[in-house]
Amino acid sequence: MAVAASAIDIAPARRQRVFDSTWILWIAIIAVLLFLVVSPFVYLVITSFQAERTGDFTLANYATAYGRARYIDALLNSLKLGAVSALLAGVFAVPLAWAVARTDMPGRGFTRMLVLATFITPPYTGAVAWILLAGPNAGWLNRFYMLVTGAEAGPFNIYSFTGLAVVIALYSFPYIFIFTTAALELVSSEMEDAANILGAGPWRTMRKVTLPLALPAILGGLIICFLEAIALFGSPAMIAIPARFNVVTTQLFQFFGNPVRVEVAAAYAMPLLGVTILLVLVQRLIVRRKGFVALTGKGGERRPTLLGRWRWAMFGYAMFVAALAVFLPYIFLVQSAFAKAWGRGFLLDNITIANFRFILFEHATAAQSVINSFLYAGVSATVAVFLTLGVAYIVARRLIPFGGVLGFLCVAPFVIPGVVLAIGFYAAYAPPPLALYGTALILILAFTTRFLPVGYVNASAAIRSLNPEMEEAVRVLGGSRLTALRKVVAPLLKRNLLGAWLLIFIPATRELSAAIFLYGPNTKVASVMIFDMSEEGNFERLAALALILQVLTLPLLWIGQKALGRDFMLRRNAT
Amino acid sequence: MKGLGSLIVAAAIAFAPVAARADLKAITEAAKKEGELTWYIAHYTSEGAEDIGRGFTEMYGIKVNVVRTTAQVAYQRLLQDIKNNQTICDVFSSTDVGHYVRLKAEGRFDKYIPEASSKIVPTFQNFDPDGFYHTTSAGLVVLTYNTSKVKPEDAPKKWEDLLDIKWKGKVSIGHPGFSGYVGTWVLTMKKLYGWQYFEKLEKNKPQIGRSINDTVTALNAGERQVAAGADGSTLFSAARGNPLAVTYPTDGSVLIIAPSGIMKGSKHPNAAKLFMEFLYSVEAAKINAKHFGIPLRPEVPAPPGAKPISEVKTIRPTVTEIDKGIPEVIEQWRDTFGN
Repeated sequence: MAVAASAIDIAPARRQRVFDSTWILWIAIIAVLLFLVVSPFVYLVITSFQAERTGDFTLANYATAYGRARYIDALLNSLKLGAVSALLAGVFAVPLAWAVARTDMPGRGFTRMLVLATFITPPYTGAVAWILLAGPNAGWLNRFYMLVTGAEAGPFNIYSFTGLAVVIALYSFPYIFIFTTAALELVSSEMEDAANILGAGPWRTMRKVTLPLALPAILGGLIICFLEAIALFGSPAMIAIPARFNVVTTQLFQFFGNPVRVEVAAAYAMPLLGVTILLVLVQRLIVRRKGFVALTGKGGERRPTLLGRWRWAMFGYAMFVAALAVFLPYIFLVQSAFAKAWGRGFLLDNITIANFRFILFEHATAAQSVINSFLYAGVSATVAVFLTLGVAYIVARRLIPFGGVLGFLCVAPFVIPGVVLAIGFYAAYAPPPLALYGTALILILAFTTRFLPVGYVNASAAIRSLNPEMEEAVRVLGGSRLTALRKVVAPLLKRNLLGAWLLIFIPATRELSAAIFLYGPNTKVASVMIFDMSEEGNFERLAALALILQVLTLPLLWIGQKALGRDFMLRRNAT
Repeated sequence: MKGLGSLIVAAAIAFAPVAARADLKAITEAAKKEGELTWYIAHYTSEGAEDIGRGFTEMYGIKVNVVRTTAQVAYQRLLQDIKNNQTICDVFSSTDVGHYVRLKAEGRFDKYIPEASSKIVPTFQNFDPDGFYHTTSAGLVVLTYNTSKVKPEDAPKKWEDLLDIKWKGKVSIGHPGFSGYVGTWVLTMKKLYGWQYFEKLEKNKPQIGRSINDTVTALNAGERQVAAGADGSTLFSAARGNPLAVTYPTDGSVLIIAPSGIMKGSKHPNAAKLFMEFLYSVEAAKINAKHFGIPLRPEVPAPPGAKPISEVKTIRPTVTEIDKGIPEVIEQWRDTFGN
C-alpha cells in the first residue's frame, strides 16, 4: 500500500520537475519582456491622460501639448525634416549601392568600407564635424570658397533647415545602401540582358529594369531614414537651436525643463509613435513584396554591368559622398581635437594635446563617462543577447503555445523611437516603487529594450540554422532543455552570439536619444557628456572625446567582422 | 561693571573662534568620512569648475563630482531629482537667482552659514538674510568682440549698438532657456529698452548658442565678431592668446550675483558644508581669479586686465524681478526667436 502510493507519487513528481525548470525560465522570460517592453509603453499611454499631481484622468495634457502654434510647428518641422533627409539620403545611397552591387566601378570594396565608416560615426559626431565645416562664417568650406572666389561670404550655412537635413542624410544613408545592395545582388543579369537585347543601353537598363526591381528595398530604406531623422535628438539640438527652429525631440526635451511636465511630454510623443508604427507597417508590406520579386529573379547568373569610361565618373561620385561623410569630417575633427582654437587652422603653434589631457585626466567625469558607456552597453548587450536567444529558441522549437507573441514583443521596440522609449521608461520606472531614477539600471534596461530587435533577428536566424536533432540527442540521453541550450546550442552559436553582442554593444556605446532623458549626474555616458560640452561650444574638447570613442570602437569592429565572417553592415538591418 | 563687560567681550572674542574652529574640525573629519560630494554648477566654465573641484580634492582628499551645465539645465535636473525623491545634488550653484527664491520657499535648502562668510567682500555678504544660500560667484555680462576682425573704435560701446545693421550676421549670444547669465541679461535689456530690443536684434540674425560661454568659442573661431558675453570667460580666453577684448557698456554692465546652497537631505552634509567653506576660502578665490572671475576674498587681487568692479557701471534687476521675470522672458524669447 505504502509502496504503491509512493510509486504513484514519484511518477508525476519527476515529470513535474522536468517541466518546472524550463517552464520557470519561460515564465521568467515572459515577465522580463512584459517589464521591458509592455509596461513602459502602457505607462506612456496612461501618463499622457493623467493630471500631474492627482493622477486623475484628463485630456489637459493633450490640450497643452498641441495648444501652441510653436509646438505644432515643431511637429511639422520634424515631418518635413524626415522627408527631406530621407530623400537626400536616397540620392547619396542609391547610385552608390547600384555601382557597388552591379557594376565594374573601381574601388567597390573601398566604397563599402567607407560606407561602413559612415555607419559607425554617431550622428552627433557628424553634426559637430559639419559645424566646423559649414559654420556660416568660420566654416572651412566657406573659408575655402571665399579664398577661391574672393567673395565676402560663403554659401554654406549649417545652422539652417537644409544644413540639418544634409547632416542627418549623410549619417543615415548607409541604411538605404544596405537594403539596396542586398536587393540588387539578387537581381539576375538575365533580365538586364533581355533589356540589352531589345536595344537598351546600360543606363536605360538600369533605370527601367534594375532599379525598379530594387525599388521596394529602396523605399524600405527611405522609410528607415525618415524614422531615424524624426527620432534623432543630438544633431537637432546642436544645429536647430542656433538655426532657430524646433523639432519634436527638442520640444520634448523642453517639456522636461522647468516645470517638469512628463505628462505633457507623453502626450506630445504620441504622433511620433503613431507615425513610426504606421511607417514600419508600410515598410514591412513593401519589403515583403520585395522577397517575391527577388525570388523570381533568382537562379540566373549575375555579371557586373560594364560602365566603360563612366566607371571613373561613378567612382568620383562615390568619393564625393565619402568626402562629405568621412574624409572632410574626420580631417577637421582631428584638426579640432589637436587645436587650441579650431578657427585658427593648421598652424604649428595652434597644435596642442591639452584637449586630450583635459578629457582624460583633468575633467572629473569625462573619462568616467566613457567607462560608463562601455559598461552599460556591455551589460545591455549581454542581457539582450541571452534573452533574445531564449525567446528565439522558444519560438523556433514551438515550446509554448503563442510563442510568436514573444517574438513580436522582442521586435516591437523597433517601432518605438528612442526618445519616446525613454519617456516611457521615465514614467514607468523613475518614480517609486522602483525609483530607478538616476541609476545605472534604468539606462541599462532602456538600452536593452532598444536593441532587443537587433538581438532577436540575429538569434532567430542563428537558431533556424541549427538542426534540432542535436538537441534531441541531448534529451534522449536524459539532459534537460536547459542542458541542451547550454551545452549544445550556445557553443555552436558562439560566433553568432559574439557578432550579435557587438551589433548591440557598438550602437549602445553612443546612444543619446534615450540616455539624455534617463542619465543621472553619476551615470553620465559619453554621448551625454559630448552633448553637455556642446553647450559651451567647446568643439576642440568635444572632438577629442568623440575621437576617443571612435578609436575605442575600431578593434571591436574588427573582432565583429571576424566573428560574423562577413560584412558587418549586412546583418544589422536584417530586420 | 564696565570692566566686567569688557571682560565678557574679550572672553567672547577669545573663545568664539575657538569654538567655531572646533566645529569646523568636526565637520572636516565627518566630511572626510563621507568622501565625496556632487556639485551642480553653472557659475563657471567647465575648466573653472573642474579647477575648483580639484582644488577642494587636493586640500581635503574629498572627491567632487562636478556636474557643469547651464543654469536652466542644472535646475531642470534638480527638479527631476526632487520630483523623484532623490537627493543626488549636495551643493547647488546656479546663476539664476530665481531658482533660489523658489527652492527656498519650498524648503529645499539646508541652512548653513559658512564660518568664513564674514571674511568675503562686504558687498557680497548676507545675500539671503535667512542664511539658506550665499553668494559664491559674481560676474558681468559685457560687450565682447574679436580683435582681429573689429577695431576697438568700431566695437559696440553700448547695448543698443548690437542692433546696428552693420552687425547683421555677426552677433553671437547665448540662450536664456539655458544660461542664467543670458536670462538675467535679457531681462535687463527688456527693462531698459523694452522687448523691441530683441525684435530688432532678431533682424540682425544673431547666432544663438546655449551657454554664455559659447560666445567665446563663436568669436574665437571667427564665426561671429561681436557678442554679449561674460567678462570672466572672455578675458580668460584672451589671456591665453585668443583675439578677444571686452567693452564695458556705457549704459551699464549687467552684474550677475550667483549663490550656492546646500540641498536638504544631502547624503554628504558635512562635505557640502566644508565645500561651502572652501568656496569662501582664499584658495578658491585665487582659482577663481585665475579664471578671471571676481574674487570674493579681498585678499586676492582682481585678475589682470579686468576693471575692478568698483570702477564699472553696473546694472542689475532685483531678485524679485529675476524670479518672476526670467521664466517670462524665456517664453517671449522662444516666440521671437523660434525656439
